Amino acid sequence: MSIIKNWYRTVYHKLFHLDDRLLLIIAGSIAGVCSGLAAVALRLSLESVLEWLHGFRHYGWAFIIPAIGALLSSLYLEKIAREGAGHGVPEVIYSVSRYGGLLRFRSSYSRLIASFLTIGSGGSAGPEAPVVMSGSAIGSNLAKFLGLNDRQRITLVGCGTAGAIASIFNAPIAGLVFSIEVILGEWKFVNIIPIAIAAVAGAQVSQAIIPEQVIFNHQAFLVSASDILPSLCLAVVTAMISVVFTKVLRRMGKIARKSSLPLWGRAIIGGCTVGIIGMGMPVVLGEGYHFIQSMISGTFSMSIFVIFVAVFAKIFATAMTLGWGGSGGIFAPCLLIGSLTGVVFHKALFGLFPEIGCASEGAYALLGMTGLISGVMQAPLTGIFLIVEITGGYETILPLIVVSSISSTMSHYIEPASFYFKELIERGQFLRPGTDARILSDLNIRELIDTGFVKVSENMVFREFIEIIKMSDQNFYPVIEDGTDEYKGVIQISAIRKYALDPGMYDMIFLSQIMDTKMMTASLENDLQEVLDMMDINNMDSISVVENDRFIGMILKTRILDLYRRELIMQTSVQ
Amino acid sequence: MELSVFDLSKSLSVSPNTIERWLRQGKLPVFKKGANYRFHTSELEQWASKHNISLNLMDKDALEKEKESIIPLSDAVKNGGVYFDIQANDVNSILKACLEKISGISDDFKEDLFERLVEREKALSTGIGNGIAIPHPREQLSYLTRPMVSVCFLEHPVDYKALDNQPVSILFFLLSPTLRMHLHLLSVLSFCLRDYQFTNFLKSRPDPLALVEKIEVLQKTNPI
Repeated sequence: MSIIKNWYRTVYHKLFHLDDRLLLIIAGSIAGVCSGLAAVALRLSLESVLEWLHGFRHYGWAFIIPAIGALLSSLYLEKIAREGAGHGVPEVIYSVSRYGGLLRFRSSYSRLIASFLTIGSGGSAGPEAPVVMSGSAIGSNLAKFLGLNDRQRITLVGCGTAGAIASIFNAPIAGLVFSIEVILGEWKFVNIIPIAIAAVAGAQVSQAIIPEQVIFNHQAFLVSASDILPSLCLAVVTAMISVVFTKVLRRMGKIARKSSLPLWGRAIIGGCTVGIIGMGMPVVLGEGYHFIQSMISGTFSMSIFVIFVAVFAKIFATAMTLGWGGSGGIFAPCLLIGSLTGVVFHKALFGLFPEIGCASEGAYALLGMTGLISGVMQAPLTGIFLIVEITGGYETILPLIVVSSISSTMSHYIEPASFYFKELIERGQFLRPGTDARILSDLNIRELIDTGFVKVSENMVFREFIEIIKMSDQNFYPVIEDGTDEYKGVIQISAIRKYALDPGMYDMIFLSQIMDTKMMTASLENDLQEVLDMMDINNMDSISVVENDRFIGMILKTRILDLYRRELIMQTSVQ
Repeated sequence: MELSVFDLSKSLSVSPNTIERWLRQGKLPVFKKGANYRFHTSELEQWASKHNISLNLMDKDALEKEKESIIPLSDAVKNGGVYFDIQANDVNSILKACLEKISGISDDFKEDLFERLVEREKALSTGIGNGIAIPHPREQLSYLTRPMVSVCFLEHPVDYKALDNQPVSILFFLLSPTLRMHLHLLSVLSFCLRDYQFTNFLKSRPDPLALVEKIEVLQKTNPI
């Protein structure tokens, strides 16, 4: 035991005394490799279990398989791992912005197991979000192990995320961009290099272990100028589909929460529904990478009408899986729905204008994917770079940018918050660095409070009080009850000026007669946002903080401005 | 120089809680000494100028000096001295005669001081009534090393254009190297002069030691 301890201490000190950036690069690549391994493990196990279950698909009772998977997954999360259901990305974003990326170690495997059960049994969900959750938890715990601070921990969380995405899609730049665009929300020089290295490490891990199973083989497409106009129309279609998808997902979650069923009961209902849909339309089952592959390579053989129905079947199945207690993400469903949309669009285009000389079906499947990713996640760069890396060239960049920007702008117009952020915004937990909400959440009441005020008794004669004013420079005097020290009110110098300048009043009044008892008070439990609202509504420049009837101190607006500015500088310019 | 968390919280005028949070978030240039966090002044200065943060690394000695410079009125009277039987018959000649007697000022500056006092009297008489005047210049006197209050008793009461038009026979020359000191002495002095017993005592032309003693007693009751 002592050998391990010594070894740990040496390694720790060696690492800690390295240059900050070097340390982050080394730790980041470790995080990237680990999260890459997690992604590969999930993919391999999904692959094998789907293959094994394929043999049972033709039985009539097969529709309950997804139900069993969802049931086991929800029971596992609820009883054993004790974590909430859902895809986990909002939790990671919130943890990054609020707790410096602190995540439980348990999160690094719990979502993997839960989503393996859900998706492996045929539930319609994506393995990316669980892998992101586990990658970021690995990064976070690595930082904890090394004793790093919040800023460094956030970078490592980003590294884990990037490694996971890069490994699953064999697309390092997409991993980097996703991590920065969606998870961290800020482009900082110090973050980019470690995250880029982690992304490459993650991609290398998957290439080394499963080279033949890389989801998207590099494939070049011939895209010409005549594709611009069709891609404009496709962008509008994908934006609409994105909005429908987001709305159905959220609506389903609300309906499920309203039902009085226990979590496992909901999971059974959701799983059975997906199973029944899957009986008629196997394309909705699982994460659907195989179907995406065949659509890109143009070997997908279904009639236009069936594919059109499949788009909505997939949307519904995903909403049933995720909303009713299954576990998984929306990345893969987005890709599948996007490629289905692209293929439908291509087929319709050729049906209407057989003479049009535009690119192949596969290219449109890719454009559709970009449209869905940009629309649902409102992460246009992730969409663009993922497809650029999949095609391995920049030939398609122009239509990609067109689709991505139009789709994200349109869906942003209809649905201002992306699927990942909406939950956070509703809970008031969307705190990007350098924003007002973030500063107010970081500054707490204890940091703002001015203490050391001279207190006065309510039975004090005014003349005595005048002597106290002469001696001190404070503008507020809390008034307390004799004996019990209970807070009674506050005297503001500006409010009593006319009495203070009239010596005739000095022996005539007691402080209890001139103190302000109606002034609102805050407590230490209030957060700064509430206190500021209170001050704004009542037009106050200062507010007393009272806890258990004891006066603690005062919060002054001038002081808030001072600290707010410091905090803003700290958050935006200090690395 | 090394600073502790508490020192830095004073320099940045934030609470120590904030400094601890910034440390946790990794925003400050810090090193560890045992279990405690420490900051190098030079590193902090570099960091602050890079990020446009105002860092007030205060000079502790300067603060203490400022506190020391407040001296009680009785000491100022000891510095200034008490002078009796000055002969004069109008404002200017009173000022001239008194200045000549006051020993704490070098002769080189007396001309300048006289001009300043006359100028102040022209603006508004310093005769505060009841036969007492407090002549003083408006600006601080940089050539003085310590504040002084000189008490001068005239042989005969003279018309000083005082606020209550009574002739003046007692003058407090209030001379101070800083304005802060000046205001402090003026405030204590006017407090003393409001005391009816004290003014009667003054009219008896007490000897310097008794005067200083009386002032000491009075300023204890009003410790500004």
